[in-house]
Amino acid sequence: MQTPPDRPKGHRPYYFDDPAIDQLHAAFIALATELSVAFDRIDTLERLLEARGDLSREDIDGYVAEGAVDEARAARRADLSKRLLKPFIDYREALFERSRDR
Amino acid sequence: MQKFIQHDMLPRPDHDEQARQDFVSSLRGHLSGRVMPGAYRVYQSRVEPAFKAQHGRIPADQEEVRQVMTKDSYYQFWSAMQRRSQEMLWEAVIDPTERQLPQLIGRAGKLSNRKLAKGRRGSLRLDPALQVPRYHTAADIHLQPGGYHTDFTADDVAAGVVYDQGINLYMGGALGPENNLTGDTLLAYIQEKHPDFKPRRILDIGCAIGNATLVWARAFPQAEVHGIDVGAPVLRYAHARAQAFGVPVHFSQQNAEHTDFEAGSFDLVISHIVLHETSKSALVRILRECHRLLRPGGLMLHLEIPRGKTVIEKFMHNWESYNNNETFCRYMTDIDLKAEALKGGFTDANTRTDEFIPHMDVAQMNYTEHFFWKILAATR
Repeated sequence: MQTPPDRPKGHRPYYFDDPAIDQLHAAFIALATELSVAFDRIDTLERLLEARGDLSREDIDGYVAEGAVDEARAARRADLSKRLLKPFIDYREALFERSRDR
Repeated sequence: MQKFIQHDMLPRPDHDEQARQDFVSSLRGHLSGRVMPGAYRVYQSRVEPAFKAQHGRIPADQEEVRQVMTKDSYYQFWSAMQRRSQEMLWEAVIDPTERQLPQLIGRAGKLSNRKLAKGRRGSLRLDPALQVPRYHTAADIHLQPGGYHTDFTADDVAAGVVYDQGINLYMGGALGPENNLTGDTLLAYIQEKHPDFKPRRILDIGCAIGNATLVWARAFPQAEVHGIDVGAPVLRYAHARAQAFGVPVHFSQQNAEHTDFEAGSFDLVISHIVLHETSKSALVRILRECHRLLRPGGLMLHLEIPRGKTVIEKFMHNWESYNNNETFCRYMTDIDLKAEALKGGFTDANTRTDEFIPHMDVAQMNYTEHFFWKILAATR
């Protein structure tokens, strides 16, 4: 069985005179999405913590990520980069596909 | 707006997956409600006047509009956003689906064997030898990666699971709690125009996940309801989903251009926004097959999306044709559906196209603020 594709088959349109603007634009929206995801998560955490009433702002500022926590955060950052860069990869793949078709 | 109904065949997104879906839904609502209408305004205020100044007349057709609108920075900005939001809509639902796919496939197997109330049960008949038509395989319709027809693992249901969640996000939930809006719309039409019509055997063509099919099965519980599609994974999901909702429907993998059903064996043949995903030659063959399948006095109803009246509306309605892999839909603009139905064997006196106003939130419309459905109706 094959791996499900990461991008749709078919014509990939460009909208701006310079394709770089298309890619930056798409990356910007991906970034906005991840920011919104992070805001939601922070909001969830703050509300849960507030409800329990057992954590102070100093606890948060003094926290140091180590070991497995640090690794998990690194993986999360890598995932953010992947999402941020996906538009560039998609446009690059479309270019490769076009040159293959020629 | 009623929330999207959860059932056993939908994955449970984790916190961030849910947040990603919520954002893309919100972004699309913002694009359709606040950004898209601006494209009409820039056309009227600067694009059309500039064209007129240069040519001494306004654009004659949507192709002339395309030449100038695609160079307008506002249109470019909206298009790039709209395209990216469509890609992200799939990405946001694919993550939880892939993560939980083995469990979903397992649940589909169990649901398939479930007996429904009053001893009734639905069925699923797949045809591995079926040749998926080129209008499905040439490009992934609506940008769903892999399309609606590709199996990536044994007993795959992913395409259906993804489609169900994706179309919910597509319209910001405006398709209803079970993505039932298209079925409801066509049902409202038949109740208004043919209030005494009580079909005993119904066929829904291009049914995908059966979201509209279930509307009909519930409205006519005495009827035997069939749904056909060319995509195996969407049909597996459709069957499991119908079983989860306890609604008996018979799904089979068939091409609507030539089915294996007996001639004259249906009272009602319907489709919901399917015809514009086919092709010029397939369209006539599908209508001819509908004619063959209907008993004398039987009814054919196809729900279609509007294609616009003014040149700018026509251009905007075809945004999806050029940017969302709806390759055939641009040709639908100038196709007279009634004339096609006549080619398929229906008579002039018994065939008509109607405009039907939906009960829906226009703020969720992606390409126009003035929406009405187009319905092709014919009696055999």
